[in-house]
Amino acid sequence: MAEQRREALKIIGAVGSTCAFPFSADELYGQHAHGADAAPAAVPAHPRFFSAAEFETVSRLADLIIPATSTPGALAAGVPAYIDFTATNNAQSGKLLREGIAWLDRAASKQGKARFVDLEESAQVALLDPLCKAADKAPAFTGPRGGGLKARPAWKAPIEVRFFRAVKSLAADGFFTSKHGLVDTLRYSGNTVRGEFPECIHEH
Amino acid sequence: MASKVHDIVIVGSGAAGGTLAAHLAHGGVDVGIVEGGPPIDTRTAFNTHALPFHFPNRHIPTMKPGKSGFHSERARGVGGKTLTWNAVAWRFSQRDFKGRTFDGAGEDWPIDYADLAPYYTKVEREIGVCGNRDGLEDLPDGDFLPPVPMKCTDVAVMKGAAKLGVKVIHVRKATLSRPKFGRPSCHFCGNCMAGCDVVAKYNSADVHLRPAMKTGKLTVYSDAVVREVVVNGDNRATGIRYLNRETGSEGEVMGRGVVVCCACVQSVALLLMSKSARYPVGLANSSGHLGKHFIPHLMGGVQCFLREFIGKEPANDEGFLDHAYVPSFMHTRKRDYARSFGVQFNYQNRRSVGWARSLPGFGKQYKESVAARYPAFLTFSPYGEMLPNPKSFIDLDPGQKDAHGLPAARRHVHWGANDLKVFDDMTKWSVRILESAGADILTVSDEPRTNHELGGARMGSDPRTSVVNRFCQTHDVKNLFVVDGSVFPSASEKNPTHTIMALAARTADHIQERLRKGEL
Repeated sequence: MAEQRREALKIIGAVGSTCAFPFSADELYGQHAHGADAAPAAVPAHPRFFSAAEFETVSRLADLIIPATSTPGALAAGVPAYIDFTATNNAQSGKLLREGIAWLDRAASKQGKARFVDLEESAQVALLDPLCKAADKAPAFTGPRGGGLKARPAWKAPIEVRFFRAVKSLAADGFFTSKHGLVDTLRYSGNTVRGEFPECIHEH
Repeated sequence: MASKVHDIVIVGSGAAGGTLAAHLAHGGVDVGIVEGGPPIDTRTAFNTHALPFHFPNRHIPTMKPGKSGFHSERARGVGGKTLTWNAVAWRFSQRDFKGRTFDGAGEDWPIDYADLAPYYTKVEREIGVCGNRDGLEDLPDGDFLPPVPMKCTDVAVMKGAAKLGVKVIHVRKATLSRPKFGRPSCHFCGNCMAGCDVVAKYNSADVHLRPAMKTGKLTVYSDAVVREVVVNGDNRATGIRYLNRETGSEGEVMGRGVVVCCACVQSVALLLMSKSARYPVGLANSSGHLGKHFIPHLMGGVQCFLREFIGKEPANDEGFLDHAYVPSFMHTRKRDYARSFGVQFNYQNRRSVGWARSLPGFGKQYKESVAARYPAFLTFSPYGEMLPNPKSFIDLDPGQKDAHGLPAARRHVHWGANDLKVFDDMTKWSVRILESAGADILTVSDEPRTNHELGGARMGSDPRTSVVNRFCQTHDVKNLFVVDGSVFPSASEKNPTHTIMALAARTADHIQERLRKGEL
């Protein structure tokens, strides 16, 4: 067991992600690897919940919500696969997403296109804009309350608005926890070894 | 295994059990400590340095694959919740022990600050607590290692609070700010509550139990889920019975005395389960007060962006989570409620960005707006003291059984009028302080949440209205003790662990004295 542990700790990452403490009391304090450089979890090649057509729509929505800018966007970050993963594991969420995609396709058919993905980008954005505005008005806190508190009034919104809110939430969660989101876009720089914590020397 | 009779059997290996076991073993007392979970190698078992994108669901599990331990709400593993705590270590003040005397509501403790002060010091000297000596009457100073500097965003909050006459101080934590005790100092990797893999942060398994085992006086029984404290015909506790966590096979550990240290709800549940002809409604429950007076901390929450940091270069400022604290100030001001609150803040971890979904819009602007606000995001969590009420208690579920076939414990929480006044005022003050510091408020929680489970086996002088006496000894059974948050008659607004450890150290002294006199 002790041998195994030592073996595991010999794995040393790139410079800057490993710390070395000058302590002899316990050799295990000496070196330990920080895992920030480990590869991201693999993205499956095919969706498990969505059909190919549905997945195409989810991908288009993710791209519209978080596009590539000076940094990669939702598509490069594997957000559609993350949304598929969530839908696979949450029947309620899966049902809402599926109904929402069907709603978008019906809206597209009123404009003479078979599916949402067939619309011009400007028409797609025009369709989503009012949904987003309505979804942004949703209360931050929903759900039942306990402990003798008065119940909150339920958030009543049409299916397409609840759908947009769900897709945007999943896209945000999926993107900003991805390497492209957290490290490339937000420039997360933690999970390191620092000899001391710096004093604030700025004017506030 | 049952043939050996220990001097003392301790149930639970967290802050209380670990401290107690170490103090007793070093004092020459033979101790058996029984823990429901597995032994945990703190160097290699935790996902301390993982990032969310290493997992398909973007959620970082506490344990590495194949390592058992902290998968459920109830912490099971040698070291208990000290393995995943945030290490905040306040001393309570005389006001906290004498709440009823101070503002006429709730209960007084049967002990004073002076009774615990030497034990706070003892604990600080053996585990290492960093902090500043602020000279506040309500937050007594201790034997501290140097404080860790505040974050830039903390300094901004401190200046905003100062405009309102509210003080912000350095946090005090049982985490080393200097190398000591053969342990390295903190290296600010920013994920303390996922388990510290160098033991810069105190945990009872590495800091208390491992050294104590070298005395030869301490036996650790792990994976042993205790189902009953056994009491004989002479009204003496004789040991415990357990189920092996994996096989379900039964076992027992015998002792001349038993101490229950399983963290509030589980301690109360164990005593309620330990029924006998003499104690038909639960062991040490002749008062009928076991399970009552459940007083967890009530917690609020405000999320905001400090305007001066919007669009600035993101800092590597996860540090050791929160570096600063707003100590109670309302206890000295005019208010229409009893008790007070303090605020823990800026302990969010920058590797999760759950707030991003709450910003408006979509597309390029939305993405840029999240990125611009990332360095400016801050959470504020006021903690208030709850008063006991008859609708807040712990009991056993008559229907539901846990994985071991034991009755599941239930928590009932009802907010009283005073609790809601505390909640409203601490939320109002949080917003006021943040706005004074130049913040845009994102969300304000409109409902108290609970944290730090306390009460249920309260300490008191009157055996008719309390479960244990001033030495954590049950009124009913002389060689049975309870040491953890369950004995708190009033909760304070301050994080409880340091007080739990000081109580454990004091109880260890008391037990040794009783053993010397042959009274146990």
